[in-house]
Formats: sequence, structure tokens, C-alpha cells
Amino acid sequence: MKSNRPVNLDLSTIKFPLSALASITHRISGVILFVGLIFMFWAFDVSLSSPAGFDSVKTTLQDNFLAKFVLWGMLTALGYHCLAGVKHIIMDFDIGVNLENGHTMSQVVFILAAVLAVLAGVWVW
Amino acid sequence: MLQVSVYRYNPETDKKPYMQDFEIDTKGKDIMVLDVLHLIKEKDNGMSYRRSCREGVCGSDGLNMNGKNGLACITPVSDVVKNNKLIIRPLPGLPVIRDLVVDMSLFYKQYERIKPFLINDTPEPAIERLQTPEDREKLDGLYECILCACCSTACPSFWWNPDKFVGPSGLLQAYRFLIDSRDTATKERLAELDDPFSVFRCHGIMNCVAVCPKGLNPTRAIGNIRGMLLNNAT
Repeated sequence: MKSNRPVNLDLSTIKFPLSALASITHRISGVILFVGLIFMFWAFDVSLSSPAGFDSVKTTLQDNFLAKFVLWGMLTALGYHCLAGVKHIIMDFDIGVNLENGHTMSQVVFILAAVLAVLAGVWVW
Repeated sequence: MLQVSVYRYNPETDKKPYMQDFEIDTKGKDIMVLDVLHLIKEKDNGMSYRRSCREGVCGSDGLNMNGKNGLACITPVSDVVKNNKLIIRPLPGLPVIRDLVVDMSLFYKQYERIKPFLINDTPEPAIERLQTPEDREKLDGLYECILCACCSTACPSFWWNPDKFVGPSGLLQAYRFLIDSRDTATKERLAELDDPFSVFRCHGIMNCVAVCPKGLNPTRAIGNIRGMLLNNAT
């Protein structure tokens, strides 16, 4: 028996339904939150260290584009992650577990997350 | 002329798989993808693929056609072809033996694991074990599975953990026996599945539902097994 057989697993050749894209985005947003929280905790720590530290974090978040962008990215990822989580809870209650509803729920999650992203942008800038 | 690109691999002559292009004359008819493969075989008789009943009953010719898994024999070219281009690849994630023929051992191993037969330790009745029409109805949408492997090979959780995650097909069958009123091994069956991998690697992405040629819903069956596991634990 040949053991070094090839495997057809080139992801670019495979079509994924919207519900699959919603799931991988859920995973990606989780990773973004995990990494981003390191910076958030660091900023939180600096802001609590002294009045001067608090002021420096405050001005950075008011003036620095990169800091604002990171904050917006975190809020957007958080919004998507929560919405996708709620979708999971709904499915766990055996509601809408079929292809049509899975598609619709994924669409709703993406649209609501986009709305939250815009709102987060308005709030940050 | 239909442009067809087929995944080729001959273990005796090829180091690596490659895509081979063919021009196929469908004579203006909307034929099935399996018919296209027959026409390719007429041009190159070394072309290898599995087929048997050619009417969607045996489940031999599960393939990836233009990115989507399905049975070649019941998939009309018009269903998958865009811009006159048809790309045929073997089922993803399983080792390729030759061309479109994959080694399904891992898939069958997971099927074997869920004990796909009735277990009943009560004395055998004289004629047969009866079931009410209501109990029989619970098997609808489960017993129809033909084990073509289209779903499990469309499932990323199965790609990454084919040895530990039972996969949509196996779990659909697991639920078929869990819910059968004539089976008395429910507790033992659930105990076999009660770990982080067997059932819980499913993240409900519904690739399985999207590709099933029989229109079955493994995601829902998996959700039901989770519910049973939860009730069993309390």
C-alpha cells in the first residue's frame, strides 16, 4: 500500500456556503479579540497607573489614527463575535437549523455587524 | 464544446497530481457529469472513477464538481457549469488512490464506530419487533443516507480531524439508531460519543446540508445528539 498518497484539499477550489463564511469569520473575529485585548489591557493598565498615564491614553485615543483604528477594529470584531454567538445559541435551541434559515441568519448577522461597525466608527471618530 | 478540467493522478507514473483539460462534445444536450466522464474515458481509457448504479442510489460517484460535492450521475452539467467550464476533482480531504478514486477507509472507520445496527437485549419476539407509525416517522430524513461521503468530505472539522470527529454522515447514522424505538443501547451509544471531538467538533457551518444529494440535514441530527447528551448528563 502506498502511504504517501496526495490529498485534494486546495481550499481555493472549494465553494463554501454563506453559513460557512459566517463561521470562519466568527473564528477570525475571536482571534482578533484575543490578540487585541493584549493592547487593550496594556492601555487600561497605563491609564490606571497615574493621572499622567490616564491623560496620555486619553489623548492617544483622541488624536492617534492608529489607536482609533485598533479600537474600532476591536469593537467591530466584538460586535460580530457576539452576534454570531447569538446565532449559535438560537441554533442550539433547534431553531432554524436548515439551509434556508442558516443562510438567512448568516445574512442577518453580517448586516447587523456592518451596522454595528458603522456605529462604532461614528462613536470612535 | 464543453471545457472540462479533470484532476489526474497515476501513482505509478506521476509524482504529483495535475489538472488535465478536455474538450467534450455534449451534442447540445444537458447531460449528467457522469456522462461527461464516460466521454472522457472514450478519449483516454486510463481515466479512473467509481460508478455503479448511475441513478443516485449506490453513492459511488461522489465528486467535487466546480467546487461543490455531489453525485456525478444525478448532477446535470447545467447545474454546476458556469462560463462553459467544468472542473472535476476528487472528494476533498481523503487520500487519492488514482484520478478521482479516493481511499474511504477513514470515512468507513467512523461509520463502523457508531455501531450502525440495532442493539436490543430484550427477548426476541416470535415474528418481528413492532414500531408505531409515530416512532417509524422519526427515522425519516435519517435512513435515506447512502454513505456517498459528499457531506463528510465537505466538512472542515472532518478534514482536520478525520480520526477523532465522527463527521456528518456518521453522526446522522448515530442519531438514526439513537432515536430508533427498537434500540435499547441508547445510554451506551451516547457514552461512546461523550467527548470533546466525536460530536462537538461540529460548528454548525452546514456545508454538509448544502451538498447532501439526498437533501438530508446532518447539522440538525448533530444538534439533536447534543441535546440527548445534555439530558443524559443531568
